Amino acid sequence: MSLRLRHITLNNFRKFREPLTIQGLSDGLNIVIEANEAGKSTLLEALRAAFFVRYSTRNQLASSYAPHGENVAPEIEVGFELGHDAWTISKRFLRSPSIEVRGPTGRTQGDAAEELLQELLGFERDTSRTGDVAAYGALGLLWVAQTEALSVAAPGQIVRDDVRSTLEAEVGTIMGGEPYERVRSRIDAAYAKYWTATGRFGGRQSEAKERADAAEAKAREVQARLAALERSFSDLESSRTRLRLLDQELADTRDVEVRAELVRTLEIARAAAMLLSTRRAEHEAAAAIVRSREDLQARHQAAAKALIDAGAALEKAKAQRVDVVKDIRSRKLAVDSAREALTRARESRQQAREALTAGETLVAITHRAASVRAARQRHERLVGLEVLLANATCTSALLISPTAFAELEEIDRSLARAEAELAAGSTRIQLTGPTAGITIDGEPMSVGERTLMRETVIGLGGGSALIVKPPAASGSAEAEVARLKAKQESMFAELDVTSLDVARARNDAAREAAAEVRSLQTQIEAITQADAALGLATSADALKLFIAGLEETGEEDSDEPPDMAALRQAADAAETALARTEGVQESAIDGLRELEEQDRPLAAAEAAAESDLQNARGQLATIESRADFAGLDAALDGARKAAAEAAVNLEDAERNASAHDAPDIERRIKAIDARSSAAAETKRRLETDIARLEGTVESEGGKGLAEQAAFATEEFEAARKHLDRVTQEAETLKLLRETLEIARVEMSRTYVGPVARRARRYIERLLPGCDLSFSDDLALESVVRSGVAEGCMNLSRGTQEQLAVLTRLAFADMLLDQRRPVSLILDDPLAYADDTRLDIMIDIIAAAAERMQVILLTCRDRAFRHVGGRRIVLDGSR
Amino acid sequence: MKFLHTADWQLGKPFARFDPEVRAALTEARFDAIDAIGKAATENGAAHVLVAGDIFDTDGPSDRTIVQAVSRMQRQLCHWWLLPGNHDYARSGGLWDRVRAKGAPNITVVDQALPVEIESRTWLLPAPLVHRHNLDDPTTLFDTMATPNAALRIGLAHGSIRDFGSQGETTNQIAPDRARTSSLDYLALGDWHGTLRIDDRTWYSGTPEADRFQRDEPGQALCVDLEPGRPPQVIPVRTGKFQWMIRDWRVDDLASFVAESTQLLNAVEPSGTLLQLTLTGISALGDRIAILSSLDHDIAHQLRYLDVRADALVARPSDDDIAALAVEGMLGTAALKLNALVEEGGTNAATAKRALERLFVEVGRGETA
Repeated sequence: MSLRLRHITLNNFRKFREPLTIQGLSDGLNIVIEANEAGKSTLLEALRAAFFVRYSTRNQLASSYAPHGENVAPEIEVGFELGHDAWTISKRFLRSPSIEVRGPTGRTQGDAAEELLQELLGFERDTSRTGDVAAYGALGLLWVAQTEALSVAAPGQIVRDDVRSTLEAEVGTIMGGEPYERVRSRIDAAYAKYWTATGRFGGRQSEAKERADAAEAKAREVQARLAALERSFSDLESSRTRLRLLDQELADTRDVEVRAELVRTLEIARAAAMLLSTRRAEHEAAAAIVRSREDLQARHQAAAKALIDAGAALEKAKAQRVDVVKDIRSRKLAVDSAREALTRARESRQQAREALTAGETLVAITHRAASVRAARQRHERLVGLEVLLANATCTSALLISPTAFAELEEIDRSLARAEAELAAGSTRIQLTGPTAGITIDGEPMSVGERTLMRETVIGLGGGSALIVKPPAASGSAEAEVARLKAKQESMFAELDVTSLDVARARNDAAREAAAEVRSLQTQIEAITQADAALGLATSADALKLFIAGLEETGEEDSDEPPDMAALRQAADAAETALARTEGVQESAIDGLRELEEQDRPLAAAEAAAESDLQNARGQLATIESRADFAGLDAALDGARKAAAEAAVNLEDAERNASAHDAPDIERRIKAIDARSSAAAETKRRLETDIARLEGTVESEGGKGLAEQAAFATEEFEAARKHLDRVTQEAETLKLLRETLEIARVEMSRTYVGPVARRARRYIERLLPGCDLSFSDDLALESVVRSGVAEGCMNLSRGTQEQLAVLTRLAFADMLLDQRRPVSLILDDPLAYADDTRLDIMIDIIAAAAERMQVILLTCRDRAFRHVGGRRIVLDGSR
Repeated sequence: MKFLHTADWQLGKPFARFDPEVRAALTEARFDAIDAIGKAATENGAAHVLVAGDIFDTDGPSDRTIVQAVSRMQRQLCHWWLLPGNHDYARSGGLWDRVRAKGAPNITVVDQALPVEIESRTWLLPAPLVHRHNLDDPTTLFDTMATPNAALRIGLAHGSIRDFGSQGETTNQIAPDRARTSSLDYLALGDWHGTLRIDDRTWYSGTPEADRFQRDEPGQALCVDLEPGRPPQVIPVRTGKFQWMIRDWRVDDLASFVAESTQLLNAVEPSGTLLQLTLTGISALGDRIAILSSLDHDIAHQLRYLDVRADALVARPSDDDIAALAVEGMLGTAALKLNALVEEGGTNAATAKRALERLFVEVGRGETA
């Protein structure tokens, strides 16, 4: 049953301070176009106020209806048709609030009017402060404000209840909602006792687990303590047993007896050992006496023998030396004579050497004189050569430099050229014949050729004159010639020549002179060579200096030189004689040395023998002078006897001592002592242990550990069983709860089927091939495209908005089936739709408008221009 | 000459698997048994009580246990002869030293294998155990015990008779003809918790207070009348407070269960009864739920203690059960799913079965609520 709005009038409502009336709304599609902010949203707000907001309320929402800052009463009047009945609501808020509903049954006012409306349109009284759309019922869902358009909202309870019968008609009888909730809540409550909200062990399960764990821990602890006590018991038992055995051991007297015997034996052994050491000392003393006497005797004998031996040796040594000493004496004479000969030979050699030296000196003087003479001659030649060198040097210095010479030659050539040019440009005249009266430039002219270079006046006498004018070019040539000549002259003067030929000749002479200079220098070098004999260096200056230093002496003159060869021969002979004499002397000395070598050991042997002899004599005297020497043999015999006796005694003592091994006896005593003290120690320890264990057993045993352990073990067992039961119960509840949930979800799926089916009709056009999933409160949850589910919140804003409109349409259809009053108002819808989607949506909405009244409020005139239906333009300024 | 023969008091037995109240009652009952024995002795004119071992459950009982035991015995007029058994075997520094230290004049611990003349010409020949497990027959020593001028020789020992049933322990074995071979007028034995006669002169008294599910009879002691030259007269005296009962019922429906339970409850003193009940059978799920509910919410509270083993009571939801649920939409779906899991078998089947039962219970509660 479509609810058809016919007219709406607002006054003093929000921005509409002046009355506004909209009328002429058709049954089907109505498009209300107005500019932004013109108040179309306010229009929807006013409609809601008229129908759903109690006239008498002064809540926040109602207060917001008054135009801002004005204390006036907002008024709304709405005319509508429901079925065949026409109705009008007039509502006034805040100031003198009132309501009047006029319809086929007449007028109704006040709360009765409100109740009438509720009954008529199926909504509940809204008790919220700001307006609860869910309370507005079907129209709350279908009159979509701009702000709500985006949410794919679930319908409120009223709508769900309204569509229930449709659902039941289509799904079949759906019962059990209430019993299910009852069972479910009980199971949930029971479940919550065992599990946490997140499905973890909780409540009774945790308690049971904790109880079991605690019981186990307790049982373990008590068992451990009991085991410790049992150990104490068994330790105590074994300690007691050991103590008993030990006591038996200690009671045994065998060790004591053995020890006493050992002590006795040890004393005997010690006495024997002491005797042994006495005997050893005695034996030692007797042996020492024997040894000292035997020693004295031996020394005496040795001394006597040494005396004899030394005497014999001395004799022999003396005999051997006699010949050698004789030889030495004669050789010494020979050495003496050789020394004298040597002295003589040395003297003669000295003389010969002196003579030779004198001769050599003389020869040297002669040589020097000759050198000085030669030097004087060289000096004279040097002086001559130096004069020549000076001249040649001067001549060579006149050489004209090659550049100057080249310039000179260039000038000469240039001059020749210039003169030739001059000659070519001048006029040559030849005078022949008589010359009288003929003048040239005023001067008389002589016969012959001449060259004219400038205008020349040749007086021909008689006043006539022949003026010759050479070509003009000759003037410059002449100037050039003059310039060159001047330059030449200047250079000649500078070089001190008169002509180029002279210069050339002079240059040749200079070159020759330079060559001569080199030659002369070579000669000078040759004659100024060094002379070692005179200590003269190689240089002309050195020579000159030497000559200047010479005194005019007659040293140049010398005697005839001596016969140096003879002198040398004499010296050599003297030298030879000396060498020979030296050889003789060396030979004599060698012989003497050899003899002395032979004599030396003999002399030493003789001296040694002499010394030995003296020593032997001394010793003998010493020994024989000793008091005990007399009767030595007898004393020695006595001593030997005493020593033999001592040896026998010693042997006896040794035998006695070895009969008892004292250290061994001591060891055995020590072992017995150690055993006994160890036993005592063990006994003490055992007694301590026993006392300790008895204490433990008494104190721990008194705690009733065995009983505790039995109890704890049994309790643990019980706790474990309890845990098993609790776990079983928990699992049971879990399974039951899960199963109930599955059943509910399945049922919900069936339940929402009709809604989904209707919505799919529309959505299929928009999103072909997709499936829809609704939650059990009939909210569209997700869209399944090619098997992938997308939550509605993840879809684009445009798609969300379109789905929101389409699901609302689906509900509108269902409500229509229920003959509920239905009308669709969309405030500025499809703002996010692209052109294709917009067209599809408009198609769908237009189709819906054939079943119900649809009012689109929009500011987008163009977007909806092609859409049919009634168009109403709202002028906000009105 | 009259005396009381008892054994296996097992004082200080933990009973930790029971709820604290039950546990306290069971523990207390064991001490109360001492009073009952002492009273029986007085009533029967017996001056001596021979306790054949296992007076204490462990060789290390708590002080409270010992003090309770000694003080209860001390209050009685009779003389107590306590023999260490395998649970409370004698050892130096052990529990018997602690008992002796309490200095009760009417208690004698016979922890030495030495004969004692307890009355003129009446000799007690004890065979105390000194280890938990004794491989030798402890009564062999009886042959070497001199009992000069004895008119009556009473043996006191703890252990199983050799080849004594399959449940007997293999250690501490006693020759079955010990009374004859050692010329005993009576051999008082302990270890076996039920009263048992081996021959005219050889008896197990059993425990004075039952401590496990083994036999229905409550605990008792033996009043023994001895005269030289004639067989002893042995009369059991009830000392036990609790009956530990084992029942195995086959119930295929609620009615048969009700019949069984009514019969049992009529036959016993419920507050003194501990019941270990095994249910077998195949019943409808609804019946099973009703049976378990009755046990849980009624019978368990009547009895001192109830241990139900219902695993063998196979319950199948009938088609009606399921159909009843199916109407419930989602609940029916859940029931079908669980039933499918049960049918499928496997590890989850048991859980699924319990879950299904639970579901029925909850739905049922819903209906009654």
